[in-house]
Order: sequence, then C-alpha cells, then structure tokens
Amino acid sequence: MVFFKALSRPLVRAAFISGLRDSSLVVPSYLPFGLVCGVASVNAGLTTGASLALPALVYAGSSQAVLVQFLQGNASLWVAILSGCVINLRMAVYSAALASRVRHLGTPQRMLVAAFLVDTTFAMIQAREASHPHDAHIISYYAGCSTVFWTGWVLFCAIGVFAGNIVPASWQLDFAIPLSFIALAAMSIRSVPMGAAALVGGAASVLLFSLPLKLGLIAACLAGLLAGLLTQKLMPSKS
Amino acid sequence: MTQLSAYESWAVVLGLAAGTFLIRYSFIGLFADCDMPAWLDRALKLMVPGIFAAIVCSGVVIVGGQVAGWDDWPRYAAAVLGFVAALLTRGNILVTLGVGMAALHGLTWLAG
Repeated sequence: MVFFKALSRPLVRAAFISGLRDSSLVVPSYLPFGLVCGVASVNAGLTTGASLALPALVYAGSSQAVLVQFLQGNASLWVAILSGCVINLRMAVYSAALASRVRHLGTPQRMLVAAFLVDTTFAMIQAREASHPHDAHIISYYAGCSTVFWTGWVLFCAIGVFAGNIVPASWQLDFAIPLSFIALAAMSIRSVPMGAAALVGGAASVLLFSLPLKLGLIAACLAGLLAGLLTQKLMPSKS
Repeated sequence: MTQLSAYESWAVVLGLAAGTFLIRYSFIGLFADCDMPAWLDRALKLMVPGIFAAIVCSGVVIVGGQVAGWDDWPRYAAAVLGFVAALLTRGNILVTLGVGMAALHGLTWLAG
C-alpha cells in the first residue's frame, strides 16, 4: 500500500513505467519455455491447481522444469525438491548483489524484492544501472519489470497447462527444455574454469544418471564445481 | 505417467517455493548484515555453467528414463546446432529454439 502511495510521486512513477516498458520487450522470449513448462507439469502428474501455483509461487523456469522432470521419472519428492533448489542456488549471488540497494527498506519490502528475483530482472537491473548510474529509484524500476515478467510467466505457463495436450507428441516439444538451457549454458561460460565446470557437469550428468534416488543431477553439479575449482587452482594466476 | 495426489502435488510446489524463497532472501534479508564470503561467491559463480550443462546433457541424452542410443543422432545433432546458434546470437533463446527444433524435425525426417 505504501508502494501505491509512492507511485503518485513523479520520479517513482517514471522509473516504474520505464521498468514496465523495457521488460515488455523482453517478456515474449518467455513464451516457448513457459508453454513447455506448463505442458510438462500436467504431464508429470501434478494437479491443475498445483500446476498453476508452480509458476506463480516458484517463479523460476529452470527449477520448475527440473522438478517436473524428476516427478516424471518417479523420483522421491524430497530429491525432486532438493534438485530444484540446487538449480536455484545461483540466485544467492543475485541476492548478495542486490543487498546494498535494499538497505533502506523494511523487512516486508525486502521480502517482496526477494520473491521476484530472477535471472532476467537481475540482468535488467544491471543494464539500468549502466545507463542510469546511482539511480535512487532503481527498486521502482525493478517493481515495473517484475510486474510484467511475473504476469507474463504465469500467463504463458497457464496456457501450457490448459492448451498443452492439444499439441501432438510428434512435435517433440519436450526437446524445447534442454534447448532453452543451451542458450543459457552458452552465455554462462566466460572463463576456462567455467568451461571445465560445464564439460564435467554435462558429462557427469549422463554418466551418473543411474545413481540411486536420482541424486545424479546434484552429484553432476558438484562434480562440475570441483572441476572448475581445480582448473582455477592449476591455471597460472593473473594477480 | 503417474498422477500425483493433491497432497503430493502441493507438497512439492510449496517445498520448492519455500526453498527458492530462502535462497532469494538469503543476502537481501537473512544475512543482510554480512557480505557474502568471497569463496562462496566464487564457488556459486563457477557452479552455474555446470548446472546448465548438466540439465542440457541429461535432457538431450536421456529419453524416457534411458540413455539414448545412436539411433537418436538427430537429437544430438540438433543440440549441437542449437549451441552454435546460441553462441552466434549471444544466447538468444528464440533463435536457439527455432534452429534446434527445426534441425530436430528436419534431421528426423532425413533419417526416415
């Protein structure tokens, strides 16, 4: 409510509106992945209500996709939840990076900021700070982006939940999930140790996939991390 | 395919939502007063490519709960072409999806 009152202040409103505008250009790229996530959650056996709550409450496509794949593979519910959380560990980095911008906010507002933290909003914040250094209204901009991204994501997933079964299986739409991650993986490799982490993590996910309890994905992530750390140790240091 | 009960469905959704929220809230709220230790920051950043690669490789190679054989070569080739498209377009998801899905269907048709 404080927020709606704040929206009557011109600068706050301007930042919020630029957030709405900038994110509207990006949100269409959520469409294919959202559709696939929606379809997959129904196919994995979640009830319709839970399939709709998944994007609304978890709001993190990659972990939703992993959760759903694990459920489909009849993994135990605990391992499915834990694997999804491991996928989202990267958000702790975003959380730490945002900490200095939310020092002035109270606990409820901080919780709101945290709830809407995703890869795309974090990228938008960084781009905004590059073009508007020391923006006092960066959180209003963040709120604008989150409004569009969250609404878009829930909507696209919901379309998948309700209309998904119309798509014939011969379209092999399930392949769209690893494909979406190929784009993310290609962009995430920015150093030799990161490349090593990707190579070992990828190979280990296939070699370890028969580990009991479906712990293979978590083990593969750890193996990739170890390979990355080891490569970093062995490489001649620049400092 | 198994249908989960309403209880199980909501348990996994709420469990993942709670875990994810705690991660997001970690340094914004829970540990707001301390900086993230440098080793943790480095480890988490190093972990990201491995996480994505693991999702990609298991998603491409494991079909229906089994390691796919060479008969599934269109999947592998389509994934490689998608990766090239991603590198060339700086990670454009729409282009990567378009190239990958087109390659999968084109090559499957070629393989007859």
